[in-house]
Formats: sequence, C-alpha cells, structure tokens
Amino acid sequence: MSAAYSVPEHAFIRLMQVNKRFGDNHVLRDVSTHFEAGQVTAILGASGSGKSTLLRLLNRLERHDSGTIVVNDIEVNDSIQHLDVLRRDLGMVFQQFNLFPHLTALGNVTLALKRVRKTDATQADAQAMALLERVGMQAHAHKHPFALSGGQQQRIAIARALAMQPKAMLFDEPTSALDPEMVKEVLDVMKTLAQSGMTMIIVTHEMGFARDVADRILFLDQGQVVVDAPPHQFFSASSNARVQAFLGNSGQSGTV
Amino acid sequence: MLIPSLHWPVHWSRRHKSSATIACAALLLLAALWFMAIPLAYAPSPIGEAADNFAQGTRVTVQLTLVSGLAGILIGVVAALGKTSRVLPLRWAATFYIWVIRGTPLLVQVLFVFLALPMIAPALQFSDFTSACIALAFNAGAYNAEALRSGLMAVPKGQVEAAQSLGLSRWFIFYDVVFPQAFKIALPSLVNNSVALLKDSSLAYAIGVVELTNVGNRIQAATFLPVPTLITTACIYLFLTTVLTHMSDAIERYYDVEGRLQ
Repeated sequence: MSAAYSVPEHAFIRLMQVNKRFGDNHVLRDVSTHFEAGQVTAILGASGSGKSTLLRLLNRLERHDSGTIVVNDIEVNDSIQHLDVLRRDLGMVFQQFNLFPHLTALGNVTLALKRVRKTDATQADAQAMALLERVGMQAHAHKHPFALSGGQQQRIAIARALAMQPKAMLFDEPTSALDPEMVKEVLDVMKTLAQSGMTMIIVTHEMGFARDVADRILFLDQGQVVVDAPPHQFFSASSNARVQAFLGNSGQSGTV
Repeated sequence: MLIPSLHWPVHWSRRHKSSATIACAALLLLAALWFMAIPLAYAPSPIGEAADNFAQGTRVTVQLTLVSGLAGILIGVVAALGKTSRVLPLRWAATFYIWVIRGTPLLVQVLFVFLALPMIAPALQFSDFTSACIALAFNAGAYNAEALRSGLMAVPKGQVEAAQSLGLSRWFIFYDVVFPQAFKIALPSLVNNSVALLKDSSLAYAIGVVELTNVGNRIQAATFLPVPTLITTACIYLFLTTVLTHMSDAIERYYDVEGRLQ
C-alpha cells in the first residue's frame, strides 16, 4: 500500500505521495490513494492516525508539505482560482457543526448561495427551504442554532454544505460530538444522501454505518493507508494485526 | 435613573422591543437637545439666565461625542484588523498606535492636535472643534481596537473554516461571519468606551471648545456660584450617559439571539 500504489488517472480525487507534518509530528506519510465519483468511502483509524488531516487537505483547510492532490482535474495549491473552484466542488461537514450562531437555520443555508452563487434572496430562500426539507428541518428554518439540538444542528450543517451543489461531500466525524440518541437522525440523512449517488468521504467511528453504507473502507494507521478494501472484506477476514486491535477496541468484530 | 425602564408589549419580538427602545432614547435625546432651554429657563438664578448657554454647550458635547464616537469605532476596526493582521508592518503600525495613545494622557493628545500639529505641518491646522474631534476619535479608536481585537480572537477557528469550505471570499468571511460575532462580543466594552468618551469630551474645554463643561465653568466663574452651576452641569452629563446606556443596552439585546440577557 505504499509507493507501489498506482493512482488511476481518471479518478475524481487523486492523492500522490502526499506528506503532512505538524512540527515533528509526521501525520501523513507518502499517502497515495484516490476517490471515485459516486463512491462512498469511510476512513477509519485510531485517533492521531491522520484521517481528519487527510480530509482537510482535500479542500485546503490544511496545506500538504509535499506530494500532489488533484480534485476534479484541479490541483490543490495556493491559487485563489483553484481554491474557489475546489471549495465549490467539495462540501464539508464538521464534528462541531460550526453553524454560524448569529444566523438562523435558513440564514446559514442561504449565506453562500447569496454571496458565492449571487442567487437573489427569494430564490435562495426557496432553494434553502427545499434543502431544509430534505434533511427534515423545514419546521426549524427560522430558529437560531442555540435553540436546536446537536443532531438538528448537524442536519442543518449538511443542508448548508449541499446548498453549493458540491460534487462531493466531506464528513469529518459528523456524529462524534452528538449524544447517542441523536446519532441516528444524522446517519439517516447521510444514508439517504449516499443512496442519491453523492460522492462521500466520511471520517467516522461509526463501524455499523461504515459497514452498511460505505462502498469502501480506508484504514489509516500512523499516517499511512494500511487497508483499502470493501467493507465486507475489511470487517470479516482482516488479517492485519492493527485492524484486529482497532476493531477489538471499538467493540466491533467481523461477526457482529 | 432618569428614565424608567420601558415595558413593551409582551408579544413583541426581541428585535422590535430593542428597536423601539433605541428609537425612544434617540427621540428623547433629540427633544432634550432642541428644547432643554425652555424648562431650564425656569430654574433659579444663575441657571435660568444661562439656560441657552447650557443648551448650546450640551449640543456641542453631544456632537463631539457622536462624531468622535463613530469615527473612533471605524478607527478601532481598522486598528484591530491591523493588530491581528498577518502582515508584520501592519501589526507594528497598529501596535505602535495603540501603545502611544493608551500610554499618554488624553489632555496632551488634545493639546497636541490643536497646538503642535499645525507647527509640524501647516496643512494640519484645524478649528478647535475639529481638533477635539480628531484627538477624541483617535483616543477612543485605540481603546476600541483592543475591545474589538479580543472579540476577533474569541470567534472560534471553526467558524472561519466553515465559511472557507463554503467558498466564501475573505471579505465575506469577515463581513458576514467573523465581524458580526466579534462585534457582539466586543459590544459591552465598546459601550463602556463610548460612555467614557462622552465624559472625556469635557477635555475639549482646554482648547476653548464651548462644550458643556466649559459653559458650566464660565458661569461659575462669572457668578461665583459653583454649587448650582456644577450640579446642573453634572446632572446634564448624568442624563446624557443614562440615555446612552439605555441605547447601548437595547443594542446588546438586539443582538442577543440566545436570550441570555434578562
């Protein structure tokens, strides 16, 4: 799974020999992988394995130190034009929701429509309402984030990211900050999204969700892709000792 | 308190109540500025005879405060951005400005703008009123900059990341996401600074601006009656700061989407 890996040239997202360091900490080591359009990938791994960093490199919330990342034929670099297109193509959902607290649910969803797409107000409101309906939040459109539960906030955050009609959605541990009873409502929205054919890359600790919804599991350990396999293969006959230890620790085994 | 708390209909929204309070306070202030000489004229000597002078002095004090207060917030925003900038020279310039202003007395700054600036550059010769406005605006700006900077620092990094990931430009990230949140955090300190500014505008008296303190001082000097004149002067300041506080409370409530203020 290292330098021998050859990245298909047509893939929607390609990473080639990507390295990232935070000071002395070598977070990603020569990572080469790719993501196909329409594919749902779950990235698993222990904390500190580099999975969130990998995700954040794709829309340049973090810069990679070396290697090449190409998204939809656009190289991820400091070019403002590249960044504009890149971030329009990739929607992102965060662990802490990061909704704008001073705006209503509707205001959160319409902001980028008005500012980036230059959609006029009535049309932006209509589009946003349709998206809020899609995540089951239309009844709360005029509430501010503080008045909503974590699960509701995360669903609005998903609607907000979808408003830009991204070609792919990045999820950075979208349910890790939620109370257990709210995890399901968010996962249900994500499942529907996956079924609609959206390209999704999901950093998660939800093993059941990864197994049921993902087309592919990417297992990271110490900054390297250790396993790249379909879920049934990953969860059943993993011969890798680290995967076994990881699955054991998270209370999951192949037979559950 | 000169103004009783305003009780708006319960079914009004928070924003409606706040807007109504702001409008009322503004109207009260305007009415006082236009008509205060009429009731003051009935006051016993020496206040009654000087009612028009007090009214005029009050108007000048309010003008000084409004002009330098608004300019001070703009300067504060620019200086706060400079101080949090990634560009080193901008950070130096803002730090230097704040250091000088906060480290020297306002009276020296007022005198400097009026007396020393024209000596350095003749083009920078201003009237006493303008000089006072400039000194007060730059003074308030330095304190506002610190308040706004702490507001900017308190906005979580995730807010910027969320805005970036939506593809918002740097300007809209600031204008729509960061600044409204920073301003709300900084608001109580900005209000504090503005009330202080209203009182500090009395230092314009040193360069001959006929504002409220100057009026009071002239009348007590002419009549040898310091007790009624200075009490009247103080009462007018108290009225102005009370109206200002009511307005700023209402502004805070306007932005209090969480309903934390009771």
